[in-house]
Amino acid sequence: MQTTPDKRSLTLTLLVLFQLVCLGFFLTDVVEDMGGSGWAGLWNAHMLPELAAIAGMMLGLAFQGRYLMNLLRRQSHLERGLGVAAGQLALLMEDYFRQWKLTASEQDVATFTIKGYTIAEIAELRGSAEATVKTHLNAIYRKSGVSGRGQLVSILIEDLMRAPLVADAAPISERSAA
Amino acid sequence: MEKPLRVWDPFVRLFHWSLVVGFTANALFDAPGKQTHRYVGYVLMGLIAGRILWGLTGPSHARFASFPPSIGGAMQHLGQIATGRRQRHIGHSPLGALMVYNMLGTLLIIGLTGWMLTTLTFFGVEWVETIHQGLVVWAEICICLHVAAVLFESRRLGVNLPKSMVTGYKTFMPDRVADADHP
Repeated sequence: MQTTPDKRSLTLTLLVLFQLVCLGFFLTDVVEDMGGSGWAGLWNAHMLPELAAIAGMMLGLAFQGRYLMNLLRRQSHLERGLGVAAGQLALLMEDYFRQWKLTASEQDVATFTIKGYTIAEIAELRGSAEATVKTHLNAIYRKSGVSGRGQLVSILIEDLMRAPLVADAAPISERSAA
Repeated sequence: MEKPLRVWDPFVRLFHWSLVVGFTANALFDAPGKQTHRYVGYVLMGLIAGRILWGLTGPSHARFASFPPSIGGAMQHLGQIATGRRQRHIGHSPLGALMVYNMLGTLLIIGLTGWMLTTLTFFGVEWVETIHQGLVVWAEICICLHVAAVLFESRRLGVNLPKSMVTGYKTFMPDRVADADHP
């Protein structure tokens, strides 16, 4: 099961970690500064820009963290090997998952389902009970408005057949325009 | 409730909470240069030396061999968080293991530089003080991260990790039907 870590996600993880430490460092610095002058120091000409810089760092960190989670999610599915056109299919699935507002767990279950794993196998892979997987599946069907596994797969197949795999077509926007 | 699993032996628990008390005392309450600051430091160094020996000879979950530092394992752990997969770790998790080595190393160097400051050669030498104080800040940041991670993982995996470090037993909740994503 152990795989060599993906370079991109590893680099990003280290970057996020580094910035987290920087943030901690600046925070302790600010706390120390404030400790010296109390809340009155807040109106110091130097203090406000410092706080704004920290807020900026936090925001940047939040975005990077989210991007990293997406990257890790994609990678943990790709490493199982989807074969040809894997990238395109994965992008298409992600588009739909976002549109349906699936949670991380639901996305994972949906991906395994589309790949043809049974409920028992998915439960095994995810380390959860079959009942939980069924709950996820119900949520997936409800959010996507399909009746079952077959329809879930056919949505993707339909898009793949309509749009050439190599082109940069945007299947979902085409659908809504039609 | 599933059956509680015995994970942390008494020495590991004693070690953990002694570090908490000792580090807090020295970092926050006990002024450097005082006698007690020094003695607490020596006790902590003794405990860490004991933990390292225990890591080579102790029971399975205490052994370093059972939680080797692994970047691949850590990334896999992150991937499980990203996908909502809940693989239970009976001993240290891969990310937790990295924190263990980080804290052991950091505290050792804090202790070493602290001891150096008591010697004639290094008393009041600036770079030694800088390392000593800088690593204390680093340790404090890491402790915050550690506490946040323990709470996060407890919630994510349905196991009370702080309690396991007190009682020595991990009780994994049987998988809930209601999903953690929909409270």
